[in-house]
Amino acid sequence: MKNKQITIMLVALSFLLILGFSTQVLAGETYKMGMSVDITGATSDIGNPYSKGAEDYVKYVNDEKLLGNDKLVLFIRDDAYKTETTKRNFEDFLDEDIVLYQNYSTGSTLALRQDFDEEKIPTITASFHAGNLENCNYLFLPIASYSSQAVGLAEYVVANHKGSNKIKVAMFLHPSAFGRGPLGDVKKAIDIGLPIELVEVVEHGKDLDNTAMLKRFQSKGVQYVISQTVQPPVATMLKGAQSLGMAASTYGEAGKITFLGCHYAGGPDLIGLAGSAAEGFYWTTSYKLMTAKGPGTDAQLALAKRYGRDDKLANSQNYTNGIMVIQVAVEAIRRVKAKSIKVNRANLFEELQAMNGYNAFYPLTTVGPVSFSKTDREGVDTLQLYVAKGGVFHELGAPFVSEYVQKLKK
Amino acid sequence: MSYFFQLVVSGIVVGSIYALSALGFVLIYKSSRVLNLAHGQIIASGAFITYALTVWVGIPIVISFLLSMGITFFLAMSVERVFLRRLIGEPIISVIMVTIGLMSIIDGLIYMTPFGAGNFSFPEFLPKTPVALWGVSISWTQLVGVIITFIMIGGFTWFFKASTVGISMRAVSDDQFASMSIGISVPKVFGLAWAAAGLSAAAAGGILGNITGLNFYVLHSFGIIVFPVVIVGGLDSIFGAVVAGIIMGLIQQFAAGYLDGNWGLYGTADVLPYIILLIILLFKPHGLFGIHEIERV
Repeated sequence: MKNKQITIMLVALSFLLILGFSTQVLAGETYKMGMSVDITGATSDIGNPYSKGAEDYVKYVNDEKLLGNDKLVLFIRDDAYKTETTKRNFEDFLDEDIVLYQNYSTGSTLALRQDFDEEKIPTITASFHAGNLENCNYLFLPIASYSSQAVGLAEYVVANHKGSNKIKVAMFLHPSAFGRGPLGDVKKAIDIGLPIELVEVVEHGKDLDNTAMLKRFQSKGVQYVISQTVQPPVATMLKGAQSLGMAASTYGEAGKITFLGCHYAGGPDLIGLAGSAAEGFYWTTSYKLMTAKGPGTDAQLALAKRYGRDDKLANSQNYTNGIMVIQVAVEAIRRVKAKSIKVNRANLFEELQAMNGYNAFYPLTTVGPVSFSKTDREGVDTLQLYVAKGGVFHELGAPFVSEYVQKLKK
Repeated sequence: MSYFFQLVVSGIVVGSIYALSALGFVLIYKSSRVLNLAHGQIIASGAFITYALTVWVGIPIVISFLLSMGITFFLAMSVERVFLRRLIGEPIISVIMVTIGLMSIIDGLIYMTPFGAGNFSFPEFLPKTPVALWGVSISWTQLVGVIITFIMIGGFTWFFKASTVGISMRAVSDDQFASMSIGISVPKVFGLAWAAAGLSAAAAGGILGNITGLNFYVLHSFGIIVFPVVIVGGLDSIFGAVVAGIIMGLIQQFAAGYLDGNWGLYGTADVLPYIILLIILLFKPHGLFGIHEIERV
């Protein structure tokens, strides 16, 4: 009788254990990630849509069970563009045992990059400053760096300049590491044969009027201005050039100035700010714009609609940017899972570094594949040139990879 | 020579917009001795109200501009009534701290709207071809901005010099107790000063928004950018704000035009106004036109 009772109890216990275990298996794992982003600071016009893109794609991953029964959690915290707040957010995320981290500003990325290495945490940053990667192994830039973008634009200037005169270029930079980042590489490209003359490098202030600068450019024969900054100062400059009648109406128009810009200097928001003065602005990024119709852009619009976002946000390249960084993270998690190994920082780091060649990732939100390796942590190398016409940025030509950037990387 | 005159014209344009932006500080300080640190936020609010009325409600921009001045007039008056009136007689530092709190509240409220994290621009309603004379160009936006600025500054100058209410406000500024003893309602004067500052801020916001586009950070930063203008001109002088604004505008343009890009110098337009500020304050601690009060004990 006693043996029978013990047997029944053992069976019941086993049943409970199996039930508990299977429930746990059914519930799946939870992977935590952290994102510190500027939602209410100086660049909230960029950070806000970026954070919403990331938030929506995480919801989509969980709703559509893209990771099976596993759940993705993304902690999004506002850092208001302040490095000290970013550091506090990062430390809080570490306490939550995150497996991957998304950082935002150039300043905080530069300040925290040693921490990323010390914590051995793979980090994807919204700052595409090439200098971020120096002395830091765990950092990944989702797309081509500002340096690659600026050199790519300079190359475009050379390839499309009409006339035999010396090509005179000025750079209009944000007064920070973010702005100055590409200057060194543009100079290196000139040193190895890029035939342009860099006449002036201007770090802008909070100018209300750029008349003096634009007149100076004109007197020095500057025909092209490449901007590496955020949209508001570019908008003020473009409005100034329009009012002075100095903006080129066609590419490279003699005696006038053609304006070009890197990722954060342009995009639909620039048209939002500058209105008709943005017409004829040339802009490069590795992201696909909503005007470039395709499966990626359709999916982005559907995602925005599904989670109740308005048209302005749905069409923002910063919303795309936010989606894309989560796409990369999810792909890395999916690949680690496929190998039946634990999804942790070390395995995600290895998987991100193996994302190249046949294993490159095609997120459809970019104009080329995302490829990282142990020696190259700049994601999408391909750039697309866009031009503002009729209040919209249109694709100009096919996506390209900068020749001089490849030379500089060798 | 046309380069020189172009810089002069641009300097006057920029300077007069600085003066209009600084006017709100002066109006409040002149009557209540309070420095309103939330002034930049009120400038931004004025610009956003104009945009919302024009684009979302569909009212013509000129009427929206006037309406937004009216709305900020009453909003600023309400702010004074709700937050600041109960601080009459309290130490000035307490009132200034309240304006810092106000700054955070307005920031928070604006971040709850699309304007907090979006870029917008007013519909273009002025000709795009600039006005050009003797090789000097000025855009219609800038020209209209300067005209509005001088109308407003002229109006306020007349108001303080000739109208009964304006004289009452100056009296309160001079001596609150003496003003009360002759029947002036000090709380009403304070409310009116805030309202007038709100009105001028909306005008500044509308003009700035037309020049830079509508970006919250850029617009509210103007509250701080114009601070040297207010200090150089004298915190309680409208005329001082105009003169200092134009001086600053000219210094910036000449620095950018003649110093930047030469002798390895850049960014002098940002630094020079502060150097001038320090030099002026060294010799005139109350600003160029600020009142130096002598107290006899």
